[in-house]
Amino acid sequence: MVKSIIYTLVAIAICIGTFIFTEWYLNKQFDEFSTALDSLYVKVEEQTATREDGYAVRSLWDDKKSKLQVLVPHNDISYVDYWLNEACGLLYTGKYDLALGKIEVLKEICKNLPGGYSLKLENIL
Amino acid sequence: MALIFIRTAIIFITLLFVMRLMGKSQIGEMQPFEFVITLLIAELACIPMADTSIPLLYGIISIIAIFVLHQIMLLLDLWFKPMKTVICGKPSVVINKDGIDEFQLKKNNLDVSDLIESMRSAGYFNLDDVYYGLYEANGSFSALEKEEKASYSLSLTLIDRGKADKQNCSRCGFEGQVLNDFLKEQNARLKDVVVLTVNGEGRAYFQKRGEKYKILQIKVNGQW
Repeated sequence: MVKSIIYTLVAIAICIGTFIFTEWYLNKQFDEFSTALDSLYVKVEEQTATREDGYAVRSLWDDKKSKLQVLVPHNDISYVDYWLNEACGLLYTGKYDLALGKIEVLKEICKNLPGGYSLKLENIL
Repeated sequence: MALIFIRTAIIFITLLFVMRLMGKSQIGEMQPFEFVITLLIAELACIPMADTSIPLLYGIISIIAIFVLHQIMLLLDLWFKPMKTVICGKPSVVINKDGIDEFQLKKNNLDVSDLIESMRSAGYFNLDDVYYGLYEANGSFSALEKEEKASYSLSLTLIDRGKADKQNCSRCGFEGQVLNDFLKEQNARLKDVVVLTVNGEGRAYFQKRGEKYKILQIKVNGQW
């Protein structure tokens, strides 16, 4: 009986620990990525961004992606991949105005994606 | 992740509630919450395993959630007796000294043929082979058997909750006018009869709605 209660408490503690860590980690990763996107956005707006800037953001995302795949469904990750690759492609060809739109979408995704996994009534139901 | 835990808990409670509503016929020798766990755990394990786009952690958290809920159910079961009745249900006495308790059968979404089938599975081939018959909370059938069996001949169901079984009636030559005369003699309408079974020796178990059962001797073909 005591053993059973201990196992249950340990399982609950593991779950709560995982919940807190996940919430914190997702927000942190997407915040960092958002900051990188913001600076890229400013550079694109000023038309000073180079393709290296785009690749730098992409390599930052690639690094985060490998860890985020443990916590986030891969479909959501490939969604970010798609828009980021589009933005990088447009930067490569120097189409800044079009790239701005793609980065704007990415910023919105990064803002909303962690919210989709947080403990909210609309996510539960 | 907390989302997955809460969603699993909601599905668990909903399934448990539905299983309790479905009565004992759907459970099959498991406690309702054990049955719900069996239903859920296979799916929870399979989906992240087969769908590579879902992180494996989602399945693991769901399974841990099921484990926690199972432990909570067990503890509630042990510590709070009223909760045991709420979660697991309680035994239903479906055969008592007056015969079949139709209300208890209905309450558990069972009918007379289900009862007869359960009795046969338990080794009783006549309704009057037992003093008491009950469905346990886990859906299994238990009975307090009589010292001596009333007969060693197989019974056929002729009337089950107001409906005559034409095939069985014709097999033992108990149809048409014979059946009508029998009902007249018993001062009963067909729809008032809970059950009428008869064995090869003509020993009949007859129960009218709201009355105690009767053991009668009737004339049958005896072709089984």
